[in-house]
Amino acid sequence: MRLFLTFLLAALLAAPFALANDKNARFKTLEPKHFTQAEGVELSPAFSDYFYAELRAELQKAKLASEVVGEGEAVDDADAANSAVILGTITEYKKGNVAKSMLIGFTAGWQSLKMDADVQRRSDKQTLYTIHVHTRMDPRWNEKIMAKACAKEIIKEIRNAQKAAPK
Amino acid sequence: MPTIFRRKVLSSFVLILLPGFCSSLTADEPKPTPANTISLQLSEPVPAQKFASPPKFWIGDVVDRSGNPQPMLVMKARGGIFLDRQPTVILREAVEQSLKASDLLASDASAADLTVRLYIFHFGLAEGSQLDFFGKVEFSAMVKNPKTGESVEVKAAGTSIAKRATLKSNIQKNVQENMQESLKDAIRNFLRGQALKDAVVALGKDAGAPAQTTSQQ
Repeated sequence: MRLFLTFLLAALLAAPFALANDKNARFKTLEPKHFTQAEGVELSPAFSDYFYAELRAELQKAKLASEVVGEGEAVDDADAANSAVILGTITEYKKGNVAKSMLIGFTAGWQSLKMDADVQRRSDKQTLYTIHVHTRMDPRWNEKIMAKACAKEIIKEIRNAQKAAPK
Repeated sequence: MPTIFRRKVLSSFVLILLPGFCSSLTADEPKPTPANTISLQLSEPVPAQKFASPPKFWIGDVVDRSGNPQPMLVMKARGGIFLDRQPTVILREAVEQSLKASDLLASDASAADLTVRLYIFHFGLAEGSQLDFFGKVEFSAMVKNPKTGESVEVKAAGTSIAKRATLKSNIQKNVQENMQESLKDAIRNFLRGQALKDAVVALGKDAGAPAQTTSQQ
């Protein structure tokens, strides 16, 4: 009986969160595209693929859409109005300076990455949200870890934009 | 005299044993064993997209263009992780399985409306952050209409990210799941891609004709 009551209590507590997640899934499908790099951005070629994979993984975790589709996948015409595409550009990357970071500290010499992204409706290509992300990190850290942080930041910004947008 | 003889014997022993000792130190190339070999297969076939006039595909050659000298070696560290079959065999089997489930696979090459030749560019783990495993499968398909000889290239890629592990058994399990997920993702990207749809429309002027005529009759 006690075990049953514990399960019941846990289910009651979890229900609002589960409902909240379903409510967040505003899109039927969501398709992230590979982000393009602006002129002068010096990142390794593998970064683009890794960031794309991270973004997809984070989108799936965040449950922003019922389905996260791969780049270039066909979507039913009926779902196109409720589907979105994420397009983005890496606008700036600064490598940072290890010596500066070690000698001065207080985030001096950190590497930084700036991205602009648009969430567009698939059917009419209307821009729903425009997102600007700026991530800073210790220069000794791998750029792939930065990709992970950027993907998380993009999800956070999309959530904020959804909250701010009129329903 | 005996001391000189003893020295000679000792030095010859050293000369004989030294190369063997050195080779045992450098022999860190992992070898495939049943314990470090994983099997990749789709847990369930990937459903293909719906075509207006569904053609029948036939998978021709599958060519490995990755340039990887050891295509079956997925991971070198920790005693290595190997695939049980060549990536070409795994990919062919997975694509055929999915096409068959969607009733898009021809019984033989002569009965096919479109033939597909696959080129693998990447199959395995790619360079990721040190915190996880980054699986990547990338291939290109040359879809050809055997009647007209026209062909269209369709690219597909699949990625997956899995957590790292400490125990060897967990590493193996995570890598296997990661690779299966990226293989599934790549096949889904191919079979449900807009590029394949466009290719079928472009090549399907003759390919879809028999199906249309039978449905009209």
